[in-house]
Amino acid sequence: METFVQVLLDGMLNGMVYALVAAGLCIIWGVMDVINFAHGEYLMVAMYVSYWLGFLLNVDPLLSVIAAGIFIFILGAMTYQLIIRYTIGKPGLVALLATFGLAIFLKNACMNRFSPNFLILTDTWLSDKTLHMGNLIFPVPQLVAGLLSLVVVGMIYALINTTRFGWAIQATAMDRDAAELMGINTDRIYLVVFGIGGACVGIAGGIMPSYLAVHPEVGSMFGLIAFVCVAMGGFGSIPGAFIAGILVGSVEALAGFYIAPVFKYIAVFGLYLTVVFLRPKGIFGW
Amino acid sequence: MTHRSPRLNRWIVFVAVLLMLVGFGSGAGSVMAAEKIIKIGTIFPLTGPVATAGQRCQAAVQTAVEIINNKHPEIKVPLAKQEGILNGYKIVLVHADSQGKPDVGKSEAERLLNQEGVWALIGSYNSSVSKPASFVAERMKRIFMCGASSSAALTQRDMNYFFRLAPTDKTESIEFVDVLKWMNKTKKANVKTIGIIYENSEFGKHAAEEAKMAAAAGGFKVVADVPFSPGATNLNSEVQTLKKSNPDALFGAVLGADYSLLVRTMKQMAWLPNIAINYCSGYQDPVITKQLAGDADFFMGSTAYSPQFASLMPAVAAVEKIFKSKTGGVPFDGDSIQEAVAMLVLAQAIEKAGSLDPDKVAKTLYANTWDSPLSLGGKVAFVKGGQNIKAQSIVTQLQGGQYKRIYPEEMADTKIIFPMKPWGKR
Repeated sequence: METFVQVLLDGMLNGMVYALVAAGLCIIWGVMDVINFAHGEYLMVAMYVSYWLGFLLNVDPLLSVIAAGIFIFILGAMTYQLIIRYTIGKPGLVALLATFGLAIFLKNACMNRFSPNFLILTDTWLSDKTLHMGNLIFPVPQLVAGLLSLVVVGMIYALINTTRFGWAIQATAMDRDAAELMGINTDRIYLVVFGIGGACVGIAGGIMPSYLAVHPEVGSMFGLIAFVCVAMGGFGSIPGAFIAGILVGSVEALAGFYIAPVFKYIAVFGLYLTVVFLRPKGIFGW
Repeated sequence: MTHRSPRLNRWIVFVAVLLMLVGFGSGAGSVMAAEKIIKIGTIFPLTGPVATAGQRCQAAVQTAVEIINNKHPEIKVPLAKQEGILNGYKIVLVHADSQGKPDVGKSEAERLLNQEGVWALIGSYNSSVSKPASFVAERMKRIFMCGASSSAALTQRDMNYFFRLAPTDKTESIEFVDVLKWMNKTKKANVKTIGIIYENSEFGKHAAEEAKMAAAAGGFKVVADVPFSPGATNLNSEVQTLKKSNPDALFGAVLGADYSLLVRTMKQMAWLPNIAINYCSGYQDPVITKQLAGDADFFMGSTAYSPQFASLMPAVAAVEKIFKSKTGGVPFDGDSIQEAVAMLVLAQAIEKAGSLDPDKVAKTLYANTWDSPLSLGGKVAFVKGGQNIKAQSIVTQLQGGQYKRIYPEEMADTKIIFPMKPWGKR
């Protein structure tokens, strides 16, 4: 029983990080109907921001999350302003291919600038720290990342559901033309939404160098899992993406431990296919 | 009779001149051939999860070519004292990136041979890439020199043009089991069980198979068989599985960033076996070792070269100077040095064969034992299938960030620290 709880706990903590990455993708997808293929690469860039702040200025990743979040907010806003804006109203494939190109650009730019070497931050405030509760081990970096995820996702949920700006976002997502007729500057909404989506993944990436090596490929798998979480949770549903993230993390860990480690991604994608087959709009889809 | 406008005439003249220039260009290409150039293609993972290792392998081949093409009297390796081979032929490298993917590696091999017209190929670090890429070369009767790929299956295909320098994972598995037996005999280590963690790839799966066979032959029980997907976001369930089985010894075939993730996850989960030995993996990567700092200590692995072997291989220092200028100061590791050896041995064979006929050179490669001061054993000799039977490696243990020689005992420079120091007592 103890082992089960430990494995589940590890899975849930990882799942909460998936949820934060997915929340960013979810808000962009839900509001703008744009699939941001560069989402995993945003995570990678945020990790580099956090790493270099730590390496050069001795700023701990726990503080760098703010800088990483702001940096990727700006990157997201720029992506909208320079690329996505021109794809609105065109077939969905155009935006998809544009962000795919951006992903390749970001990955290769980082590879060119920082080399493919793995960069590890040691001696951070959180690195290698664990909390023990009986025989249960709580890895502190993942625990903090999970709590951070909970706070950020909660804040975004509150922003969207309790503020005038959030209602404007919802209105824009439901019917852009009607929202414009009501006086909402949808172009600005899109810009900020892309920025917020980026900030979510930026915060996740900012904390990760506490426990994960940074390299140009690091975002790929996270990006893929974020897509699964968003599709499974329901396009545009922040609580859906959050719950799906935790579900994915838990299934991954339990299947990896109780069936076979190599089976963990099979279980995750199997679960995804099952959910999408039974409920194509996802668990909490609009 | 048709009348063309002067403008059209100018266009026709322009196109004709262009065509003549193109024709001249191709003529210039054949002049290049007359200028005595041998094009060699390299295929390494220059991007992707193991790019750091791939780039070092490429730098190693470039280092070897620099030695072959220019006079380096200060370097004590064959061909260093002369300029070029075959009375003035110079080697020109054409590089390709496999991304660590078999399909990309295969198509790059086809491109290099068909479009770039390279004479031979060197690569490809990942066994899973070397396998299809060398099939392409074999089909076209072109030599494929493989420095670092360790899957024993590569040299069990009875190929005629494939030559591999590194020890195989079969040799390494037997060596690892010998270490455990030696530990049990001399240190009363009481090692009975083994866990294996490996990436789910050609290299990892084959290494695991060889490990299981060697373990069975040595009387050890494999209690954990843990494959994982390379590039995973976490290795929690993998380490949990190992922790649950708690083997006395752990064999690892874990490349690149996955290795650092494995070590850190083991630390987080407060688990260590008594002894952990690695195949070709992040263990041998000096960059990862440096990044992991003290956490990398007390792990072991087979190593064909590390700077701590300088006293055994005095010729390396001068070559390493050139290598370091290409890698920003990173020294040779066991994998990259094998790629340099691959290039040097191929050049020696061309020189000895006195011909650029691939058949003649392949036969010469098989027929001779080659001097190789950059190899641990000092010699290279190939047997049927292309395996270098003189390939050697030493089992080392990281102690204070240094690769200390542990086994074979006669080559040891320090004593093994057994069991591994627990995480909390470092």
